Amino acid sequence: MSVTVPAIRQNRPGPRRISNRALLYLALVFYLTIAVFPLYWMMMAAFKSDTDLIDTSVSPFWFRRPLTLTHFDQLFLHTNFMTWYWNTYVIAAFVLLITLAICVPAAYALARLHVPGGEKIAIGLFMTYLVPPTLLFLPLSQVISGGLGLGNNKWALVLVYPSFTIPFCLWLLIGFFKRVPLEIEEAALVDGCNRVQAVIRVVLPVSVPGILTTAIFAFTLAQQDFVYALTFTSSSSQQLLNVGIPASLIRGDIYFWGELMAAALMAGIPVAILYNVFLDYFVEGITGGALRG
Amino acid sequence: MRPLSIRVRRAAVVERRVRGRGAWLKLATGYLLTLPAILYILLLVGYPFLLSLYFSVNRVFIGGEYQGFVGAGNFTGLLDNPVFQRAFWNTLGFTFFSEIAKAVLGIGLAFLLLQPLFGKKIVRAFLMLPFTLPFALSLLGWQWMYDPEFSIINYLFGHELHWFQQPYPDWLGDPFWSYLAILIVNIWRGFPFAGVIILAGLTSIPGDLLDAAKVDGAGFFRTWHYVITPIIAPILFIGLIYDVTFTIGDLTAVYRLTQGGPGYATETLPMEAWQVGIVGGNLGQGSAITLALFPFLLIGVVIFLRMLYRRESL
Repeated sequence: MSVTVPAIRQNRPGPRRISNRALLYLALVFYLTIAVFPLYWMMMAAFKSDTDLIDTSVSPFWFRRPLTLTHFDQLFLHTNFMTWYWNTYVIAAFVLLITLAICVPAAYALARLHVPGGEKIAIGLFMTYLVPPTLLFLPLSQVISGGLGLGNNKWALVLVYPSFTIPFCLWLLIGFFKRVPLEIEEAALVDGCNRVQAVIRVVLPVSVPGILTTAIFAFTLAQQDFVYALTFTSSSSQQLLNVGIPASLIRGDIYFWGELMAAALMAGIPVAILYNVFLDYFVEGITGGALRG
Repeated sequence: MRPLSIRVRRAAVVERRVRGRGAWLKLATGYLLTLPAILYILLLVGYPFLLSLYFSVNRVFIGGEYQGFVGAGNFTGLLDNPVFQRAFWNTLGFTFFSEIAKAVLGIGLAFLLLQPLFGKKIVRAFLMLPFTLPFALSLLGWQWMYDPEFSIINYLFGHELHWFQQPYPDWLGDPFWSYLAILIVNIWRGFPFAGVIILAGLTSIPGDLLDAAKVDGAGFFRTWHYVITPIIAPILFIGLIYDVTFTIGDLTAVYRLTQGGPGYATETLPMEAWQVGIVGGNLGQGSAITLALFPFLLIGVVIFLRMLYRRESL
């Protein structure tokens, strides 16, 4: 039966398929190298001893003297690293709470209550996400330190960060709420709930995954900022990781490379992991998936 | 569960509440719930923006020193200022060249991510690291990679591969190489995002749509023009606009690596605004510099909106 021959041939890896596969993995190695090498290089600096770090007689890609945790010790014992970590997470947590408190009701209203002009409001608010901090940091510095007396105060950041978390989180939440079937809310109304009860007992529990996702995003986004933190905080005790690490570990021309890299890794990797969890929603949010619901 | 007759009656009540008496209440609640979000954005984005417009036509200094109206003075002063010109063209140059490189690398990455790979989720997480790490922190790693003495890039391409001749590039101290250094970190940070956006574009075309086009006798070019482009283009544009606004307004890379130097080789508008506005305390002049970014952002927003609506109407 000659009919079955093509099928068999397809299953056998021909030379062309093998070379395609090789090409694919070559490309993969190329991209992985570009993406991960700086991180590997940071890790080497973080764990190598200082003498090993500047020893040019051996290949810098690997280590000769035993790896050490000295840089980490230095970081915890002789810098404000824990303070910056605490500041960063506390600020991010408050930003998350403010963002949710403002966005959940607004998103519900814009997704469900058929407010006239609701879509225009949603899009208008989302567009402010495209206004970069660079355009606002000068006037805001005046408002924060002049008007509100919050100069060199980390709490100023709690106030400012929602200005970029709200637009995107609102947008995402609208998308999530639109996906909750209208029928279950109506069913709750029919069963004797009023609208508030229906929202609290039926709509919100169903939306928990969406709300959690948004919360993660607000939390992550608050840790990505550099410009506002640089503008509004100057003393070490008020700083967040992104600003405190270089401010304290680069003294004039002296760079404490080992400590810098150790700190950057410990600060950055948790954010990278959280952001990665969120990435698909981020892309969908940007490309307008939220509008279609 | 209530008896059926009661449920039917309740349904009628609900129906009436939704249609009639409750309608205005629902409307009021709707606006009321939206109000905090609108107010927050108006106060922390709208108001500062107006303030920066106000600053830009006045002589204003940090600490609230106000020295009178200057009209377009802050702007005209910029036009024949060589530092501003340099910053302006550098900002556009960094954005333009890095977008091209990101697009090229992003296309490759998107096709790579389309393939079945072993452990794809983890592989993707690694590939996304440049984008997901806070830029301010990964830049510290780059600063170490560009170190004048211990640059690993020079070690690899000079000492090992002999592509570079002695003297090796002074990455952050030479005008040409520092320009390239800033460009490289921008590309590195943005190519994973370009990749996932392009991937989103590629996977957004429903297979049956392509089949339908084929059945209807559309050739490659017709399919491309009438089916593929209208679906992919808005997604790519939206991603591009997002990335452009990020790159064009980014202070982090230049601030961390070169502070605009050597000389003004890598000066950008955000960096100059920082130096004039915060370091020099001249808020009026600084605001005028940041507002030079505004036309580009406005164009971005307009295209963004058009694409968003086009996507929606599909």
